[in-house]
Amino acid sequence: MERTTLSRPMALALAFMAVIWVSPFGWLLSNAFDTAATGRLIWPQRFGIDNFTGAIGGDAGRMFLNSLLIAAGTATISVVVGAAAAYPLSRLRMPGKNALLWTLVLLRMLPSVGVLVPLYFAAQRSGLLNQFGVMLALSCLNLPFTLLLLKNFFDTVPIELEEAAYVDGASLWQIVTGIVLPMSRAGLAVVWFFSFTGAWNEFLLPLIFSRVEAGFPMSVGLYGAFGRMGAIDYGFLAAFSIIYAAPAIGVYFLLRRNMNTGFAGVGVKG
Amino acid sequence: MRHQANPWITSNLWLLSAAMLPAIALVGALLYFTGWAFTFSFTDLGLTGRKAVEWSWVGLENYERLFTRKGFLDSLWTTIIFVFFSAIVGQSVLGFLLAATLRGTVSTTRSVVEVCIMLGWLLPDIVAAFLWSATTSRTGLINSLFIVPFGLQPINFINDFALAVVTIANVWKGTAWSYLLFIAALDSVPREIIEAAKIDGATRWQRAWLVVLPIIRPHIATNLLFITIWTFTYFPLIFAMTGGGPGRQTETLALFLYNQSFARGNLGFGSAISVAMLLIVGALSLIYLRMLREPK
Repeated sequence: MERTTLSRPMALALAFMAVIWVSPFGWLLSNAFDTAATGRLIWPQRFGIDNFTGAIGGDAGRMFLNSLLIAAGTATISVVVGAAAAYPLSRLRMPGKNALLWTLVLLRMLPSVGVLVPLYFAAQRSGLLNQFGVMLALSCLNLPFTLLLLKNFFDTVPIELEEAAYVDGASLWQIVTGIVLPMSRAGLAVVWFFSFTGAWNEFLLPLIFSRVEAGFPMSVGLYGAFGRMGAIDYGFLAAFSIIYAAPAIGVYFLLRRNMNTGFAGVGVKG
Repeated sequence: MRHQANPWITSNLWLLSAAMLPAIALVGALLYFTGWAFTFSFTDLGLTGRKAVEWSWVGLENYERLFTRKGFLDSLWTTIIFVFFSAIVGQSVLGFLLAATLRGTVSTTRSVVEVCIMLGWLLPDIVAAFLWSATTSRTGLINSLFIVPFGLQPINFINDFALAVVTIANVWKGTAWSYLLFIAALDSVPREIIEAAKIDGATRWQRAWLVVLPIIRPHIATNLLFITIWTFTYFPLIFAMTGGGPGRQTETLALFLYNQSFARGNLGFGSAISVAMLLIVGALSLIYLRMLREPK
């Protein structure tokens, strides 16, 4: 066994790096809990949680709900549409299936900025410059990845189980809801939460799709608040940032063990 | 249709095809939009005003503009610098060094460092932008820790060294992905092979260069291509920190596209920029596909 122990200078260097990496978070926390925050790095002068209560009420609360709507909507559309297509894709022998899968791999690399103008144009013409339009556009961009990942999960469900159920007289619907979906529960959850965090963090599409302030999600709201000239309310922004970042970080630690499947999803087992 | 083995599939072909329809529609829409971007790039379509309704075909004029005016080529250069320093030098090399150092060490050190760099990665783009704007501002963390205590004038980093600041911010944000991929790759190298090389008398460097590196080469290639493509089209962090300024110092292609399309309202020219970006990303993806197909 090659068991490396870190030399002292190496350990110091690592510790130094870790401190540098987290120091912006220290700043963020100290400002969020300081009701008289000025953006400087000091121990909170007046300790309190007023910033947080400010950052969940009123406009900020509405932005939270908008973000939640967009993220949950995108994730649900992606998983439902993706799973409905991934099962046939996994089980059917179709002509040109490999070409289709490779197309999906290529489409997965398609950057949203590349189709930004047509997306905007189409949404404008069909009156979808709102949260629902953002959801549809994000699901669209998300689907190639979702489809590949779910197909890989369904591929791992043993076909013998389905055969046994069929012999026992189960219908297709019963086979899918009774065997396939429960057995790929972990996969479905990973895909749902991946899509959720992706849409929760999304900035560009809501930026060009939101016409009214009532439709802003947290990303656009936070950008608007600190991009504005004049006095910056650091305490409020820090608390707002923490609330906005919490779901994404929470989801990761919830799914930590299943996370490596995200890497598996980049390839195709054709 | 070839022979189908599974009767519960064959007796429900219509139902299964119907289930695929929504996905086909969405993927079709995506392909259709890509085609649209190509079409728009030959027009003078505008965001508002007369050109939004009465647009006309302008042939290759938009593409001529890409190469004859300075804007596009300048942005391309800025993008290349940004990608090279933040993705390749910063995220990949740093991620690899970290993975190589932390592999097989005591689990607490490893966990602490992992959680630290992971926090940056998990943070939403706009929060990272806010954090780094505040950290590098005149009264921010860096000035109050490293500049002011030495009696120097505070520096407005985001204004004076804009490209460097967004590059560092992106390294801070993105290193975790490369690290995760590399540590998984290094863990997959069988210990027996390294042991065998050791017994054959290979030095530490020879083991790294001649044994480990060839085994994880596909992982390195995957990592490089993914982060290159992502960084190449990355928008929110730079946009929220600098908006492309000061001047046009940090205007990468994604920002150039946004500014031309939605600030100036030239959707036609913006489409030409997006076609150029799609071609570059497409070329990179094809290289990636070829590498995936090659037997290891």
